[in-house]
Amino acid sequence: MQMKKLGLTVGALVAATALLSGCAQAPGSSDGKTEIVYWTWFPPQTTIEAAISAFEAENPDITVTLKTFEGADYQKQLPLALSGGQQVDVAGVQISAMTNSVKDYLDPAEDWAADFLPNINTTMVQQTKDIASDGELYSVPMGSIGSPVMYYNATILDELGLSVPETAADWKVAVDAISAAMPEVTPVVFLGDVYWQEEMLFAIAEQTSPGLSDDIIGGDGSWEQKGLVDGLEAYKSLFDDGIVGTDVLSLTGTRPNELFGQGLAGFYIDGSWNNSLLSASYRADNNLAVTDVGATTIPLIDGGNPSVRALAEGGLAIPTASEHKEEAAKFIEFMLSTAGADVWAKDLILVPSLTGYELSDSVLQSDASVAGYTSATAAISNPTSKRDSQQDFLNTVEGNAILDVLRGTTTAAEAAAKMQSEWTSGRYPHGSDK
Amino acid sequence: MTFVKTSKLVKPRGGSRALPPRGGASRVTAKTGWYAVGFLTPLVIVYSVYFLFSFGVLGVVSTQRVGLTFRNAVDVGTQNFTLVASDPAFQGALLNTLLFALFSVAVSLTLGFALAMMLASGVRFRRFFYTIFLLPALIPMSLFATVFGRMLETRDGAINEGLRAIGLGFLAQDWLGDPGAAYVAVAVLITYAIGLPIMYYTTDVAQVQASVMESATLDGANVWQIYRIMLFPLLRTTHITVILSVLLGSFRAFDIIYFSTAGQPGGRTDITGTYIYKATLGLDRIGYAAAASIIVLVVALAFSIIQIIVRRKAL
Repeated sequence: MQMKKLGLTVGALVAATALLSGCAQAPGSSDGKTEIVYWTWFPPQTTIEAAISAFEAENPDITVTLKTFEGADYQKQLPLALSGGQQVDVAGVQISAMTNSVKDYLDPAEDWAADFLPNINTTMVQQTKDIASDGELYSVPMGSIGSPVMYYNATILDELGLSVPETAADWKVAVDAISAAMPEVTPVVFLGDVYWQEEMLFAIAEQTSPGLSDDIIGGDGSWEQKGLVDGLEAYKSLFDDGIVGTDVLSLTGTRPNELFGQGLAGFYIDGSWNNSLLSASYRADNNLAVTDVGATTIPLIDGGNPSVRALAEGGLAIPTASEHKEEAAKFIEFMLSTAGADVWAKDLILVPSLTGYELSDSVLQSDASVAGYTSATAAISNPTSKRDSQQDFLNTVEGNAILDVLRGTTTAAEAAAKMQSEWTSGRYPHGSDK
Repeated sequence: MTFVKTSKLVKPRGGSRALPPRGGASRVTAKTGWYAVGFLTPLVIVYSVYFLFSFGVLGVVSTQRVGLTFRNAVDVGTQNFTLVASDPAFQGALLNTLLFALFSVAVSLTLGFALAMMLASGVRFRRFFYTIFLLPALIPMSLFATVFGRMLETRDGAINEGLRAIGLGFLAQDWLGDPGAAYVAVAVLITYAIGLPIMYYTTDVAQVQASVMESATLDGANVWQIYRIMLFPLLRTTHITVILSVLLGSFRAFDIIYFSTAGQPGGRTDITGTYIYKATLGLDRIGYAAAASIIVLVVALAFSIIQIIVRRKAL
């Protein structure tokens, strides 16, 4: 009798678990509404929720269930979810980092985006296609990002009577002035993390050798070529000339951003996804001490022209396994329309892909922020290379080799030789090897 | 010095250690045998499905060039193993893993043992000190390592700030930029994580018969001799447990390194865990990462086998 009771209890538990897991696996229609599941890592959750609310108000028969992830974690979670058959109706795709790892599970965008694709910036669409190994379009980009962008504390520059630096010499003058007048302020901050070093290196190297990143990472160019070695030496010269201190290389994660936000850094170099710093309302909402922010490109170190690597980003895709493709396409169309962009574009993280879209005048208020946004947008619209990386090589070899040069552990030529040797070792398929 | 009296329920250790009968008549009845089978079956099923299946997949994937979706796999034979084994970054990571493991063992057997003996001797504020030493073992290491990593910042980090505040600014280091300083930082972190060895020792020393210690005291042994000649050898099975747990724990010390030094400077403090994690980030690199995992698994298994042999001999 007891065994029977136990059996019944276990049976009931199994049935309940199956029922619950079934509910979690396949949200569909409830109360006459269709529920679609949206996975993404971008933009910030509050912004997406606002965009979803606006969409649901326009489409009362569709509800959107949101699941957000941290960027690096998302690169693993989405492929695993798609290969495991988990229901995802709209998938955010990191165009450079994820397109090829998930494209086999996505419907070609031309199948579901034909109605609104003509409204999307053709360059960004082409960049998205080019990333896929088969040249097919699997996601529609929400916009474009570029890096590096150099944000500056406009209040500090104003107080010290400094102009926005355009060359290393100007920069040195500004750094010395800040150090002398405000010893508590770190003149220049950026990430010392391994992955960030590639952004810095190519931005500096491409000032005199545009297209270098495309040649090496996207093509079959050598890491030992002169442009790259010169770039490494130019990057190192920032430390040798006292523009940047080696202590900056110990800043990781969100620390540079925190220091700049607290008004404890004069210049902050990062990607255009930090353009929110230009917005006064963003700074107020996040209790940032810095009162006025401008943006520019990295000053010219050894002549040449300003450089930024940029790429379409924030791809929206529909998995082949989705059972609500029509609703998913409707949601994506909304996100890429003026109504959707009005909600998320004011975060300034992406330069929107919607052709002719103009940011509301109320978002940027100071002269420095308007000029900064214009400068960053212009650079991103005319990049010197695609913002593309070989992540495993970057994390294991490239970033460490660059850091060794900056710390004086090795020479630029030796680091370049090491990178080339590892690049051709067979461990990191690239270019025509892919 | 006082010793905790041995419970009557606990068999004494050392010379009069109670061992299970070997080969003699078994008192296991058919009924208790079925109970054992009943209890073991779920574990065996879970083990078979979870571990053996996972190992099987790992083995197959390690011979492929494939990504996280496991689609369009290309068979590459043993190429992944060759590439991993010949990678200087992997060799360095493996060496670091062993180095940090040996350091952990050394710290556990010396400092851990000494602290445990002090705590077992009835020192005042015992509970307070237990909390201090055991806390790192109870909180997520990732959290602790993250905070510690922040403390290592050169300009504004708490360690350098603290040194400057007490007039020892000359000792301030570029903790993540200088290889020697980075190793010191990792060593400090490892040292702080000796809570579990202390727990093992304090638990086992409580089972040492007080009469043995009293006899030694009556025979004129001083405290140092009691520790060195009696307690340390008496706790040899605990040493083996500590060595194994610390050694194998070192192969899973991903969070300690990843969240503190992140392998810096220049990957010189990377361990196998961080190496494998980085390897999974690239396109179609799951096979490569699987091969690296298997090599690490084989090394860890080798250590386990050696430990089992040593333990059998010790018993």
